[in-house]
Amino acid sequence: MSTTNNLTDLEGADHLKDSPTPRYFGREKSRTRSDKAFSGSVVVAALSSLFILVAILFYLATSSWPALQKEGFSFITGSTWIGGLDDPSLQVFQIWPMLYGSFLNALLAIIFAVPISVLLAIFIVFIAPKKIARALTIIVDILAAIPSGIIGIWGFLVFTPVAEGWARLIHQYLGSIPIFVNNQDQFTRSPFITAWVLGIMIVPIITVVAREVLAQTPQDLLDAARGLGGSLWGTVRMVALPHARGGIVGGVMLGLGRALGETVAIYFVLNLIFERVNYYRILDPEGGSVASMIIAKFGEATPEEIQALLGAGLVLFILTLIVNLIANWIVARSARERLV
Amino acid sequence: MNETKTAALEEEIMSIKNVRVPSSPQDVHPNQPGGASVHLETQNLHVWFGKRLILEKVNLAFPVNSVTALIGPSGCGKSTFIRVLNRMHEFIPGAALAGRVLYDGQDMYDAAVDPVNIRTKVGMVFQKPNPFPTMSIKDNVLSGLKLAQMKYENPEEIVRTCLERASLWNEVKDRLDASASSLSGGQQQRLCIARSLAVSPKVLLMDEPCSALDPGSTRRIEETIREISSDMTVVIVTHNMAQAQRVSDYTAFFLSEDGAPAQVVENAKTDEIFKKPKDSRTNDYVNGLFG
Amino acid sequence: MTIVQEKPSEEIFKEPQYPWKKANPSTSLTNSIIVVLPISVFALSFFLTDFPGALLFIVVFLPVQILVAIFATLWGISKKRVGDAVLSVLSLVAFSLVIAMMGSVLFSVFSRGLPAISLSFITQNNTYISPTTELDFGGVGHALLGTLMVVAIGMIISVPLGIASAIYITDMKGRLAGFVRFMVQAMSGVPSIVAGLFILAAFILTDVSGFSALTGGLAYSILMLPTVARTAEEVLKLVPKDLRDAAIALGSSRARVIMKIVLPTARTGILTAVILGVARVIGETAPLLLTTSNTNGTNLNPFVDAVSTIPVYIFQFLGSGYPTAINRSWGAAFVLLTTVAILFAIARIVERTTKKG
Repeated sequence: MSTTNNLTDLEGADHLKDSPTPRYFGREKSRTRSDKAFSGSVVVAALSSLFILVAILFYLATSSWPALQKEGFSFITGSTWIGGLDDPSLQVFQIWPMLYGSFLNALLAIIFAVPISVLLAIFIVFIAPKKIARALTIIVDILAAIPSGIIGIWGFLVFTPVAEGWARLIHQYLGSIPIFVNNQDQFTRSPFITAWVLGIMIVPIITVVAREVLAQTPQDLLDAARGLGGSLWGTVRMVALPHARGGIVGGVMLGLGRALGETVAIYFVLNLIFERVNYYRILDPEGGSVASMIIAKFGEATPEEIQALLGAGLVLFILTLIVNLIANWIVARSARERLV
Repeated sequence: MNETKTAALEEEIMSIKNVRVPSSPQDVHPNQPGGASVHLETQNLHVWFGKRLILEKVNLAFPVNSVTALIGPSGCGKSTFIRVLNRMHEFIPGAALAGRVLYDGQDMYDAAVDPVNIRTKVGMVFQKPNPFPTMSIKDNVLSGLKLAQMKYENPEEIVRTCLERASLWNEVKDRLDASASSLSGGQQQRLCIARSLAVSPKVLLMDEPCSALDPGSTRRIEETIREISSDMTVVIVTHNMAQAQRVSDYTAFFLSEDGAPAQVVENAKTDEIFKKPKDSRTNDYVNGLFG
Repeated sequence: MTIVQEKPSEEIFKEPQYPWKKANPSTSLTNSIIVVLPISVFALSFFLTDFPGALLFIVVFLPVQILVAIFATLWGISKKRVGDAVLSVLSLVAFSLVIAMMGSVLFSVFSRGLPAISLSFITQNNTYISPTTELDFGGVGHALLGTLMVVAIGMIISVPLGIASAIYITDMKGRLAGFVRFMVQAMSGVPSIVAGLFILAAFILTDVSGFSALTGGLAYSILMLPTVARTAEEVLKLVPKDLRDAAIALGSSRARVIMKIVLPTARTGILTAVILGVARVIGETAPLLLTTSNTNGTNLNPFVDAVSTIPVYIFQFLGSGYPTAINRSWGAAFVLLTTVAILFAIARIVERTTKKG
């Protein structure tokens, strides 16, 4: 931001720098108070994002501090949750099962969503006829716009019975494999089903990014590959995918961030068990999710519990912030590399 | 009895299709000297972009192990034509063509022919060098083989042979694992040539391969072209007439007059085209009067 | 005896032809086999055996389809194209899966939600309604109103801030432009529940405000800001530089250039940015559960007292288990989906009219 009175110092007027603008004209155009006020307010408003992020960190940290301080590190490593007692000092708040559950759900969702998304993106860019490709792009955008509350209600009422059938089958034939063990003959509200619902939510996110990056594969590299006698799969495998790798990873991480933060859909579809970690039995009706826990417990929480819930929110915030920053860094770096 | 025998003989002979017997010296296809077989030829080729006819009535044959230059003013469809020869034309939206393109006597546009297969036999080097930037020099040379899914042994030998033929070996032999994007423009183009050579095509198409390069690289590439033409047919599009004269055995002159579809005005041995052209338009072009 | 020379045909072709699109008899046959065989095998095994459809799909249909495609390729085209065949099959399966799931979502909202819709449903509120009350009574009127209030407040806050951020990045090109962009991007990753928790901690627990549309709007504005800012940035970039230069050369101050020239030119694009921001955020339930809470009656005051909103309405009745309550949820879901669809349609129309004008 310039503080001179020179006309040529205004941003956006780079090309005027060399023009023979007489100096006196510049001096006449002094920076009025209103101009300064305008710039000032724009700057402040633009920095609002920073303020908000800092404020989130601040308020979540300070309001949850008593609970966090009491628990210490075991807040995130322990598995006990005792609230609602008359004696607040006996309350214990630890979120490890929920934290692990969030990761597990997100990981499974990624495992389901990534092959589908990448295949769909390849289909749109390289296989489908132009008209179908255009229609599909619009369809994916529509899918991305469906509110998560609606996917939540659909997941709970429509999809769960179907996926339960799948889960039973998997258990029936592959039940000897540890991850498909089920001790309760109950297959609803499991991480498996949750992962599918989460997956359908993040497929559009990943597909949109993957499609864009694949479509930007330089034409001359595609020409080279085809000119050498490369089949479609060969071209995709050796040219398009390596080129798009960074962008796709970035898209996957964006989907990961979304999956970690999803609340209501998981709340209905997953059976939250707050004090026991379900490490790998994905067909069992037990699971965790930090975000859903907050919703679940909020209604009847004691003041100390609310502090703990805020602490959980803080953990979630930091986690998703890191994932999001890494994602954007990867996307930006791969965009720079692709310009080379 | 004799007449019926003759008639039957005539019938039998007339039923033999595709008999190419010159009925007079003037009918000898200029690029078909005395019975040399031809790998690649086009018959009555018409090429469209959308509804617009770009090229018409193109009859060209490319003799085995020779170099043919395609010259003509820019924009008259030479690059389009060359992409027809390895079935890259059909990737362009709205592309269309009619006529036949014969490779080893068989129409490559026949429905039973796999275009991917054709492209391993008819290779292409592009105007702007396009080595794969994420791969090393060595991997670039071998990439053609991998893409074409051809089996190979002795990768080191293949890399060395191809880079030597492309006159690049001495400059990169110590850094085969370096990224291809670390090379200069001329080196990259020679790498692309090496990459195409690895697949052992019978025909190599080159679309103005030297137009973006410095004179030193141009010279080296022209040497490469002369050398590889001993065992493959080369078709090169060029705007540089001196280059055409240096490098080619035959030359075809394309011309589009007043926006009409382009045609091959004349094709003959390079010497004839440049020294004693038969058509006045050819004469004007090669003497720099237009284009 | 003259020997006939077969000359190349002299036919003049008048119409463009596409020889690569021709199918010869063998490919047609192959294509039919590729389609019919797996389906028949699947159908037969479905009807003749007891195994469930999903199992048969994975274990019978998919392998048969892939194998048939591979063999068809080997026989009909060439060995090298097998990868292409498998890729095509798999990507078509992915495509079908996505279409099926999305179709299921839209279909269920439509088929289960539409029956609940009536004029009374859209206009009435839920006072005196219990989960088992029939759908002739009560509705989402109060929730619609509440959503409107929350979204409006969200817009009032996020739109100026978002546009300001965009202006800062594109027109003012301040030193911190990259930093602001970075911050906006970081904000886009904030989960909706964290936004709600923040407002809870900063405004409600501190007794600055209470459960109200205002706090809900604040939470929504956090979620809307990145979308508005990013879209506005793209739109502002499209305003031609010459326009700005002309204004500067005429002696306009920076403020005037931006307010009088740049923004009005980008007017429709910014409108699109706002609509997209709203559509993105309008279904978010979690922050509302923590800020606006819920009520059954109509609350016209955005600053005091809880408000009902559509997403929370869905949430409220979903967990009760009674069929009537669940129908209400579907009805509300239908309303929500329709609203989002209308918003997108408006955005599209706005885009189209600018392109024409």
